[in-house]
Amino acid sequence: MGATAAVMRGTPAHELERAATPLLSIEDLWVAIPRYKLESQQVLRRIDLEMAPGEVLGLVGESGSGKTMLARSIMRLIPASGWIERGRIRFGGQDLAALNEEELRKLRGRDIAMIISNPRGELDPLQTVGQQIGNILRYHMRMDRTAIRARVLDLLRQVSIPDPERRLNAYPHELSGGMAQRVVMAIALACSPKFIISDDATSGLDVTVQAQVLELMRKLVVERGTSLLFITRDIGITAHFCDRVAVIYAGEIVELAARDEFFENPQHPYTLLLLAAFSHNERLRRYWLGEDETRKEMGPSPTGCPFANRCVRVQPRCRSEHPSLRELASRHFVRCHFPVER
Amino acid sequence: MPILSVSDLVQQFPIAGSKAVVRAVNGVSFELEQGETLALVGESGSGKTTIGRCVLGLIRPTAGAIVYRGHEMGGRRSVRSAELRGKLQLVFQEPAESLNPRLRLFELIDEPLRALQVNRAERERRVRAAARRGGLAESLLELYPAEISMGLQQRVGIARAMISEPEIVVLDEPTSALDPTARAEIIDLLIQIQRDLGTAYVFISHDLSAVRHISHRVAVLYLGMIVEQGPSATLFAQPSHPYSVGLLSSVLLPNPKLKRETQIRLEGEIPSPIDLPKACYLAGRCPLVQARCRERMPAVESVEPGHMVRCYRHREVARQEQAVDYFARFQEEAERILGAGMPPREKRPAIQ
Repeated sequence: MGATAAVMRGTPAHELERAATPLLSIEDLWVAIPRYKLESQQVLRRIDLEMAPGEVLGLVGESGSGKTMLARSIMRLIPASGWIERGRIRFGGQDLAALNEEELRKLRGRDIAMIISNPRGELDPLQTVGQQIGNILRYHMRMDRTAIRARVLDLLRQVSIPDPERRLNAYPHELSGGMAQRVVMAIALACSPKFIISDDATSGLDVTVQAQVLELMRKLVVERGTSLLFITRDIGITAHFCDRVAVIYAGEIVELAARDEFFENPQHPYTLLLLAAFSHNERLRRYWLGEDETRKEMGPSPTGCPFANRCVRVQPRCRSEHPSLRELASRHFVRCHFPVER
Repeated sequence: MPILSVSDLVQQFPIAGSKAVVRAVNGVSFELEQGETLALVGESGSGKTTIGRCVLGLIRPTAGAIVYRGHEMGGRRSVRSAELRGKLQLVFQEPAESLNPRLRLFELIDEPLRALQVNRAERERRVRAAARRGGLAESLLELYPAEISMGLQQRVGIARAMISEPEIVVLDEPTSALDPTARAEIIDLLIQIQRDLGTAYVFISHDLSAVRHISHRVAVLYLGMIVEQGPSATLFAQPSHPYSVGLLSSVLLPNPKLKRETQIRLEGEIPSPIDLPKACYLAGRCPLVQARCRERMPAVESVEPGHMVRCYRHREVARQEQAVDYFARFQEEAERILGAGMPPREKRPAIQ
């Protein structure tokens, strides 16, 4: 096993609870985007989320569930046509909604950084690795050239890029996918941000490389006490990588719990659906997924629970009354009228 | 008697304007029995897809032989030739990109039969039967691919591959573009079809959960070479090649307790297939590397009948690895955790 395996297993829950003041707190966030000739669509609703310093929170959801929207709302980078309907995002005591564009620009990259998937698409093909990491240092830290060079080399070493001196002058096309992802990580880490959002950042990598990148990410987060919001479609990653896990469905958080509790005692039928999808057990899948393909097309229920139309355990109340996010066990939140009991 | 046998397959691609070649496949041998699933697993650049294309005769191998029922594939004999048309089929990774967006689902499934010159009434009947087998409702057949979900699109891809009643289907990452919820469904569908029709599959994937479930045998590929090959149950429980161990320990099953813990950690990344290591291809990444690994390529050794490995130190690897099939364990755990919220199983009268 060794030290790295221990790193993968995560920070014990009791240590997290000690950190009382949250680094990030989102209260009742609603985000809408307009639709052509239709009523605007609320892509995020009732989002309540707190993150402690040094915490790794996994956010799991299918495509279209609002994961990326949430990340972009925190960065205040929602598409120009979209808007925050209501709610508050506080970061380190500061209300992000109150900041102007100039103040946001200072915050992004310095205090909050984001790592997205498709690393090669994110890097500028015409600039070397050294220039791209250097840019952010020059802008935020006002470093001079020698200091930048030293810091860039240091960052490349931290993200385990072999032969950093040579890589400094490499262009993105000369890098493999795993290397490009490490460079993107180095850019994110450059200003030692307090908060990092990783949006599906490892999904394009091969499994053995993904394992290395995750381990590295975890190590850097633990060492620096950075908080990490880890957005993914792969619930499997969260089981081995995150301290807490949240599931998002149709723009709402439907379940949130500490990692071990979450996987030992999942209670929202959608969480069970996601887990059942991995089980190659027909009986379990037939029950939890049912005829999911057909029911998925029906979309969320407009009045009641957003999951009602896909839920195998749906009851009349689910279609009429919207469930609130209730704390069913200690720090285990579930948005369901009829949570799964065992 | 295997229906397909591949021996010492080598595939190299020239690089324009250079004397160097991409060594995509470097001496691969395997056999496929009727009604069996052989999985080819490995990371990108391991040659999985190239092998699949060679099997279909879409590219002529640089060296080696692919024999399907006594016919040597490649060149003029391919899936395109009249005598083999429809006998070997392919299911693609990206369902949306592999379906003509301007054809309705009915026409898409019908296409292979047109190539086989089946008459109209017969085609109509077979398309409906294939759609039913693929789990596509009759009402969907008038739609266009863009109007249905990716999971359904892949069912169309499968239905149209199966409609000519092929003997071998090459499944090239059929689930990797899909949402996790659609993946297991597609795997189950493929298993069901195999049970009904006795089709043999070459299942190319890096989704090891799916591989464990669908395949009878697994071949682990690294840089165009099979490093380990054996029955799935054995190989997943007791991998003998360091690369197999590395691959299996990288799998993150959705249960925090289930992960293969190992001393064998692969470093770095897969080298370029243009500039291959001289001896064992894994030497540069393997923690168990010795001088001989860098000097001479290890030979294929048999661990037990049907289980082959290409590593000098495979006995040590097997000894120090726990013999646990985490995928099977996960299924048990899933039964316990997910079964709890389910209504009690209906009691069936015991069959004597």
